[in-house]
Amino acid sequence: MGAVLGSEAAGSRAVPLLAVLILLPFAGAALIGLVPRSRSEFFRPIAILTSVATGALSVYLLTQFDRDSAAYQFTIDHAWISDLGVRLHFGVDGISLFLLVLSGIMFPIAILAVKPHGDQKAYYAWMLVLMAGSMGVFTALDMLVFFVFFEIVLVPMYFLIGIWGYGERVYAATKFFLFTMFGSAFMLVGMIALAVLHQRETGSPLTFDIVTLATDQAVSTTAARWIFVAFAIAFAVKVPVFPLHTWLPDAHTQAPTAGSVILAAILLKFGTYGYLRFGLYLLPDAAAWAAPVMLTLGVIGITYGAICAAMQKDLKRLVAYSSIAHLGFIVLGTFSLTVQGITGGLLVMVNHGIATGALFLLVGIIYDRRHTRIIAELGGMQKAAPLLAGVFTFVMMASVGLPGLNGFPGEFLSLLGAFKGGRWWGVVAVTGVILAALYLLWAYQRVFHGPASGGNATMRDMDLKEFAVFVPLIGLIVFLGLFPGPMIETMEPSVKALVAHVQESSDNARADQPDIEKADVDNAEASASEHGSGTEGSAGSGASEGSSSGSGATSGEGHG
Amino acid sequence: MELVWLIPALPVAGFLLLLAVGRKLDEPFAGVIGTLAVAGSFLVSCVVALDLMSQPEEKRQFVQTLWVWMPVGSFHVDFGFLLDPLSITMCLFITGIGALIHLYSIGYMKGDPAFGKFFMYLNLFVASMLLLVLGQNLLVTFLGWEGVGACSYWLISFWFDDKANATAGKKAFVTNRIGDCGFMLGTFLVWVTVGSIDYVEIGRSAGAVVGATATAVALLFFLAATGKSAQLPLFVWLPDAMAGPTPVSALIHAATMVTSGVFLLSRLSPIMEHAGWANDVIAWVGAATALLAAGAAVAQNDIKKVLAYSTVSQLGFMFIAIGSYNYTGAIFHMITHAFFKALLFLGAGSVILAMAHEQDMRRYGNLRKYIPVTFVTVGIGWLAISGIPPFAGFWSKDEILAGAWAVDGYGPALWAVGFVTAILTAFYMTRLMIMTFFGGVENWRNPELLADAEPEVPLGADADAVEGADGTGAEATLAHAATATDTHDDHHAHDEHHGLTPDHTPVESPTTMLVPLIVLAGLALIGGLLNLPFSHRLHFLKEWIHPVIVGEHELPEAAVLWVLAIVAITGAVVGIFFAYRVYQQRKVDPAKLEKPVLAHAWYIDDTYAAVVGGPGEAAFQGAADFDAGIVDGAVLGVAHGTDAAAKVLKPVQSGIVRTYAAGVAIGTVALAVFVIMRMGF
Amino acid sequence: MVALTTLLAASDAAIDTPDIDWSAIAPNLVLMLGGILLLTVVSLLKTRLPRWFCATWTVLVSLGAMAAVVPLWRRVQDSGPETAMGGAVGLDGYSLVIAANVCLAVIFGALLLKGYLEREQLEGPEWYVLLMLSASGAVTMASADDLIVLFVGLEIMSVAAYVLTAMHSRRISSQEAGMKYFLLGAFASAFLLYGIALTYGATGSTSLAKIQTYLSGTVISHSGLLLGGIAFMLVGLGFKIAAVPFHFWTPDVYQGSPSPITAYMSTAIKAAAFAAIVRVFVVALGPTQVNEWRPMVYGLAVLTLLVGSLFAISQTNVKRMLAYSSINHAGFVLIGVLANTPEGNSATLFYLVAYTFMAAGSFAVTTVVGRTGDGRHSLDDYRGLSKVRPGLALVFAVLLLSQAGVPLTVGFLSKFYVIQAALDSDFAGAGVLCVIAMLTAVISAFMYLKIVASMYFGDPVDADAPAIRIPASAGIALALAVAGVVVLGVLPGPLSDVVGDATAQLVAVIP
Repeated sequence: MGAVLGSEAAGSRAVPLLAVLILLPFAGAALIGLVPRSRSEFFRPIAILTSVATGALSVYLLTQFDRDSAAYQFTIDHAWISDLGVRLHFGVDGISLFLLVLSGIMFPIAILAVKPHGDQKAYYAWMLVLMAGSMGVFTALDMLVFFVFFEIVLVPMYFLIGIWGYGERVYAATKFFLFTMFGSAFMLVGMIALAVLHQRETGSPLTFDIVTLATDQAVSTTAARWIFVAFAIAFAVKVPVFPLHTWLPDAHTQAPTAGSVILAAILLKFGTYGYLRFGLYLLPDAAAWAAPVMLTLGVIGITYGAICAAMQKDLKRLVAYSSIAHLGFIVLGTFSLTVQGITGGLLVMVNHGIATGALFLLVGIIYDRRHTRIIAELGGMQKAAPLLAGVFTFVMMASVGLPGLNGFPGEFLSLLGAFKGGRWWGVVAVTGVILAALYLLWAYQRVFHGPASGGNATMRDMDLKEFAVFVPLIGLIVFLGLFPGPMIETMEPSVKALVAHVQESSDNARADQPDIEKADVDNAEASASEHGSGTEGSAGSGASEGSSSGSGATSGEGHG
Repeated sequence: MELVWLIPALPVAGFLLLLAVGRKLDEPFAGVIGTLAVAGSFLVSCVVALDLMSQPEEKRQFVQTLWVWMPVGSFHVDFGFLLDPLSITMCLFITGIGALIHLYSIGYMKGDPAFGKFFMYLNLFVASMLLLVLGQNLLVTFLGWEGVGACSYWLISFWFDDKANATAGKKAFVTNRIGDCGFMLGTFLVWVTVGSIDYVEIGRSAGAVVGATATAVALLFFLAATGKSAQLPLFVWLPDAMAGPTPVSALIHAATMVTSGVFLLSRLSPIMEHAGWANDVIAWVGAATALLAAGAAVAQNDIKKVLAYSTVSQLGFMFIAIGSYNYTGAIFHMITHAFFKALLFLGAGSVILAMAHEQDMRRYGNLRKYIPVTFVTVGIGWLAISGIPPFAGFWSKDEILAGAWAVDGYGPALWAVGFVTAILTAFYMTRLMIMTFFGGVENWRNPELLADAEPEVPLGADADAVEGADGTGAEATLAHAATATDTHDDHHAHDEHHGLTPDHTPVESPTTMLVPLIVLAGLALIGGLLNLPFSHRLHFLKEWIHPVIVGEHELPEAAVLWVLAIVAITGAVVGIFFAYRVYQQRKVDPAKLEKPVLAHAWYIDDTYAAVVGGPGEAAFQGAADFDAGIVDGAVLGVAHGTDAAAKVLKPVQSGIVRTYAAGVAIGTVALAVFVIMRMGF
Repeated sequence: MVALTTLLAASDAAIDTPDIDWSAIAPNLVLMLGGILLLTVVSLLKTRLPRWFCATWTVLVSLGAMAAVVPLWRRVQDSGPETAMGGAVGLDGYSLVIAANVCLAVIFGALLLKGYLEREQLEGPEWYVLLMLSASGAVTMASADDLIVLFVGLEIMSVAAYVLTAMHSRRISSQEAGMKYFLLGAFASAFLLYGIALTYGATGSTSLAKIQTYLSGTVISHSGLLLGGIAFMLVGLGFKIAAVPFHFWTPDVYQGSPSPITAYMSTAIKAAAFAAIVRVFVVALGPTQVNEWRPMVYGLAVLTLLVGSLFAISQTNVKRMLAYSSINHAGFVLIGVLANTPEGNSATLFYLVAYTFMAAGSFAVTTVVGRTGDGRHSLDDYRGLSKVRPGLALVFAVLLLSQAGVPLTVGFLSKFYVIQAALDSDFAGAGVLCVIAMLTAVISAFMYLKIVASMYFGDPVDADAPAIRIPASAGIALALAVAGVVVLGVLPGPLSDVVGDATAQLVAVIP
C-alpha cells in the first residue's frame, strides 16, 4: 500500500500546472507592487482577475484529476537546496485536491466581497501572497517546502490583521504570529530530526521528501513518537486544539472581514491537513499511538468550543468559537483512523470553510450596517432585513449540520468514524450536535428575532450585489449537502490508501498490543464488506478497512 | 410505482416556487399554489397506493434509488425511497390532511404580511415529512426527521417579533436535538452491527442484532422518539409550540410530525422484536406520559394548551402499543388521532378566530349558537377522542388497551393506566366542550372577567431558559410571564392584549376553513372502518401492513375484547358525565380539581427551566470564564512572565563598567569551577 | 611584521626565519597597504581629499582584497589547504571565506560612513584608514594558525575598533562607548593571553597544528593546564563574540558607537572571532578535547540565547534591541560550533555571512533613521515609518523578519543549517538545545515585531522631526543587504556550496 502511496502518477503534465497555481498569485502581487499608488483604480481589478484565474485553474485541476488513483498527480520535482536534499516537490492527491479547490473558491469570494478601507495596494498584494502561500501548503510534498509556505503565510495575515483590523488589532496580530511561531519552533526541530534520523537509519542521502520518508518508515518507534509530539504541537496551534486555541478568538474578531473568512476557511485547515500528512501519513504508528489523546482533545474542542461560543457577547467572537467546535470534529474524524472518519474530517474541512466563511461575511455586513457586533445591541433585524435574515438562517442551518445541507455529511461521517474507531469518544462527541444548535439558534434569536428598535428597525437590507457574492456559496451548500458522492469517491482511493498505510505500520510496530473489541469490529466489517461488495469500489475496502478499524480499536481501547 | 419520487417532489417544487416568487404574489395565490402542490402529491399517493394494492402481497415492496448519497467505503448510503404499505399509508394521511390544512390556512392566514412565506414553510414541511416516511434507509429518514424539525422551528417562531414565540421555536428545535443524538447513535450502532442502514437490509439481517445491542438500539431510537413525539422526559417543547399559528399546531404538532417517532419504531420492528426489556421501558414511559399529560390537560384554560396536552397523552397511548408489540394498534391510532386531533385543532382555530384571537376558555361559553358548524364538527371530534363508538377514536384506543392487556406479566396494570387515562381524556374534552360551547353564560360579556387578571402562568412561561443561557434568569422569567401567558397565536393583537370586548359577536369562519372541518369530521366518524375488530376479514389495516411489521403479538380472544370494550365505553361515559356535573351543573367547584400542580404539568418544565437556567447557565458561564481567565490567562501569564523577567534582569545592564567587568569575572570563575571539577579534586 | 616576528621568536627558542609566501596573505596585505597608503596620501597632501574619494578608495580596496581571495580559493580547492610563514598563517577555505566576509563588512561600513560623515560634518579619512586596518587585523585573526598570530590579529582589529567607536567627537555616548569597550576589551584580552600561555604550557606549542598533533599523540586526562587554557581562551574569544556573560559591553557599545561603525563591528569582528573559535576549539582541540570544552560552550550557548532574547524585549531603543538580537544570533552560531563537525563549521560560516547582510542592513537603517546627531533610535522614532518612507520601512521589515527566521529569507536558512548540523552531530542535549534556541527565536521575534508594528501600525509621533534622507551610498548598502537576504534566502545554493567546500578540510588537520 505504501508503494501505491509513494508512486507518482505516470506522465505528469508538460505544463507544470501546480507551479502556475502557486506563481500566478505571486505574480499578481508583484504586478500590484509595480503599479504606482497613484493609479489605485488598478489594484482591485488585478487582484480579482488573478484570484479568479487561479481559482479557475484549481477547478480545472479538479476536472483533470484521475479519480481512481491514490497517487500524487500533476507532480513537479526539482532540486532546490542540493546539500540538504531539499526539493521543490509538489503534487496533489485526493486529500489535498479539495482543499486546493476550496482555496481557489474562497479567495476570489473574499476579495470580491470586501472593499478595504485605507491602503488598497498593500491590502490586495497581501491577499494574493496569502493565496499563493495557501496553494503552496496544500501541494508541497517536501517537508521543508511545506514549512516555508506554512510560515510565509503568517506575514500577510499579520499585516492584514494589524493594518486593516479592528480594535485590539496589533495585540491580536502579534498574538497570532507568535503563537504560530511557537508551534513552528517544535515543528522545525521535529522535521530536521526526522530527516537526519532517516538518513542515519537508511544510509541514503539527507532528504526531506515526504513521500520517501513516509514510504521508508525508517525511524525507530520512540523517535517517531517524539517527532510526532513536536508536529502535533505545531498543528494544534494552527487548528486550533484546546488549550492552544486562545489566539483564534482574538485574531478572528479583530481581523478584517476578508481576513476572518480566509483565516477560518483556509488557514485553520493547514493544521488539520498537517495532521493527515505529517501525522497519519508520515508517522502512522505514532499517530495511532497518540490517537486516544487526540480523540480526547477533539471531543474537548467540540463540546468546550461550543459551550464557550454560547456565552460570547460578541457575534463575531461567537462564530470564532464555533470554528473551534467544528475543527474538533475534524480532529475527531482524523484520529478515528477509519475511512469514514477521515473522509468526514475532509468534508468538514471543506464545508466548514464554506459555511463559516459565509457566516463571517454576514457578520461583516451586519457590522457595516450597525457598527457593532455586540449581540445585546442587535435584535429584531429580521423585520427590516428579511433577505439578510434569510441567508443567515440558511447558512446557520448548514453550520448546525442540518441534513441536506453541506455541514451534515462531514459531521455525520466523522462521528460515525469516531464511533467505529473509538466508541466512547464518538458517544460523547455527539452531544456537540445539540450544542451547535443551541448557540447558533440562540444567537440568531437575539440578533434577528424579537422586537426591533433604533438602528435595528431601520437597518438597510442586503442588496443584490451583496447577495450575488453568496449565490455560489449557497449553491455549494445545497449541492455538497445532497450530492457529496462525487467528492467522496474522488477522495476515496487516497483515504483508503492512507488508512491501510496507518494500519500496516502500526501493526508492524505493535503486534503485541492487546486489542479489545477488535474482533467485534472486524465481524461488523466482514458483514459490512459483504454488503458493500455489491456496490462498486467498496469491495476491496472491506478488507483494508476491517483492519483499519481494528487499528482504530487498538488505538482507541488498547491505549485508552 | 415509479411515480413515488413525485410524492415529495411536488411539495418541494411548491416550496421552490414560493421561495422564488412567494413575496410578489397577491394574497390567495401563494396559498393556492401551496395547496395544489400538496393536493397533487395526495393524488399521486392514491395512484401509487392503488398500484401497490394491485400487487401480490410479497411484491409490495419497492425501492427507488435516485442517487448515491454517501459512498464511504463499506458505509454506502443511497438517496432513495422505500415504498411499502407502511410508508404509503403514512403518505396518504400526511398529504390528505396536509392538503386540507393548507386549504384551511388560506382562510386562517388572511391578511398576514408573511402569507406567502407561511405556505412556503408549510410545503417544505410536508416535503420533509414525506421524505421521513418514504426514506429507504435511516439516513434519508433522518434527513426528513431534521427537516420537519427545522420547519417546525421556523413555523413556531413564525411571528418572531414576539420574544415568546421565537423562544418556543428555539426550545422545540434544541429539545428535539437531544433526541436526534439518540437517532444518530442508533444509526451508528445499527451500521456497526448490521453493516448497513437500509431498512430492507436491516429487515433481512435483523438476526445479527440481538441481546444488549438490540436493546441499546431500541432505547436510542426511543430517545429520538421521545423528542419528536413529545414523550417523557422531552415532551416540554410541545405545549410551548402552540405559539405557532393554529394550522401549524394542527398539521405539525398533532397530525403528522409528532407521530414520526411511532412510525420510526414501527419501521424498526425487526429490531424491536429482539429488544427485550427496552419494550417494557417504552410501554411504561408511554403510559406515564399518557397519564401525566391527561392530568395536566384537565387544568388548562388555554384551549390550545388543552389540545396540546391531549396530544401528548394520545401519543403516550401509541407508545403503549409499540411497547406491547401492537404496531397495528399504534399505527391505527396514529391515523384516527390524526383525523380527530387535526379536526379539534382546526375547530379550535375557528373558535379563536371567532373570538378575536382570545384563547382563554374562561372567556368563552355558549358559542354553539354563533358558530354551529364549528360546534358540530368539534363535537364529533370530541366524541371520537373520548372513545365513544362508533367514532374512530374508540376503535383504535380500544385496540391499544386490548394489546396492553395481553402483555404478559404486567399487562393488566398497563391496561389500568391506559383506562384511567381514557377516563381523564373524556373528562377534559367534555370540559373543553362545555366551557366553549355550553355553560349558558357568555363570559366575555362580563367586563370584570375580561379585565380579570391573567390566567395562572402556564407552562413554558420562562421557556427560553431551557437552553440555560437567557441572560438574567429570574427577571427574564417574569418578563415573559407577561408575554407568554397565553400563547397568543396572533401578531396583530399584540399591542392591546386581545381584541375581545363585551359587545363582541362571534361569527362563523369562511368556507375555506369549514370545508376541511367537515371533511375531517367525516373521517373522524368513519375512520374506525380501517381496522374493525369483529372478524379477521375486517382487519384491513393489519392485513395491509403486516408484511412490513415483524414480531407483532396477537390480541386476546374475542370474549376478552368484548369485556374490555364495554368497560372502556363505561369509563368514557363516566368521564363525560362527571365533567358534565362539574362544569355544566356546577355541582362541584372546578377549583377543587384544577390544582396548580396540574396547571403546571407537575412542574416538570419549571424544574428543567430552573436547573438549566440556574446551574446549567452558571456552568456554561463558568466554562467561558475559565477560557478567558485560566486558559488565555496562562498564555498571557507566560508572556507577562517573560516580560517581567526581562524587567527584573534589566538593572544588571547597569551601564557601569565595574559591573560588566564583574560579569566577565563571574563567568570566568564559573568556568574555572567547572574546570576544577573536571580535574577531579 | 617586525613585531610579529619578535613575538614569534619569544614563543619559540630556536629562531629560524621562515620563508615568506606573500601571495598567501594577499588579501591581508591589500587591506593593510590600502589603509596605510590612504593615511600617507592624506597626511602628505595639503589639500583636503574629496569625501567621495576615501569611501570609493575603501570600497575598491576591499573589492581588491576580495579579488585577491579568488585565486587563493582556487589554489586551496585544487591542492588542499596549506600553511605559510612557518605555520603561522593557515590558508584554507574557511579563512578565505571569512576574509571575504570581512571585506563585505568593510564595504558596508564605507558606504554608510560616506553619507554619515557628511551628515554629521565630521572629517573623513582616518575613519576609513582605521576601518581598513581593523579589517586587516580581522583577516589575520581569521587565518591565524598560531595562537600568537591569532592574538596579534585580534589586537590589531580591536584597537582600531576601540578608536572607531569613540570617533564621533561630538557624541558623548560615543566617547563613553569607546572607553567601555577599550577597558573591557583589554580585560578580556588578558584572559585570552593567559589561556594561550596555559595551553602552551600544556602542549608545548602555540601552533594549532602542533597542538592538534601533540594531543592526538599523547593522552592527557584532565590536565589542569590545558583545561584552564581552554577556559581562559573561551573567555577572551567569548568576549569578542559577545557570549553571555561576557556580553555586557555589547548593548552600550553598539548603541553608543556611530551607526556605520556598529554595522561593521557587529559583523566583521564577530565573524573573525568565530573563525578563531572554530579554529582553536573545533580544529585544534576538537578531535581530542571536545568533551572538555563542549560543556562550557553549551552553557555559554544556552545563556547567550536566553539573555539575547529576554533582554531585548524590554528595550525601547532600536539599536539596543539589535545589539541584543546580535547576542541571540551569537548563541545560534555557537550551536554550530558545538556540533564539532565539518557540517557544523559550514553552518557557522553560512550563518556568519547571512548575519553580515542582516545586521549590516539593519544598522544601515538605523544610520539613516538616526538622522543628524545619530540620536533618533527610540521605537517612537520609527512609528509610522511606512507612511513616511514606505521603501525604507519595507526594507527594514524584510531584514527584521529575516532575523526572526521567516522562510524565504536567509535568516531562516541559517538557523536551519545550524540546527540541522547540531541534530546531525547528535551530541548530548542537542535536541533540547535546539528547542531552546527556537523558543528564544520566538521571544526575539516578539521584539522584531514590536519594531515592525511601530513602523506599520502606528502613526508618526513628532511631526516636526527632520525628514529622513537616504544618501545614495547608503541606498546602495540597503539594496545590497536586502538583495543578499532575499536572494540567498530563495537560492542558497551558491553560498551553501561555497561554505560546504570551504570546510571540506581545514588547515590544522595537516601536520
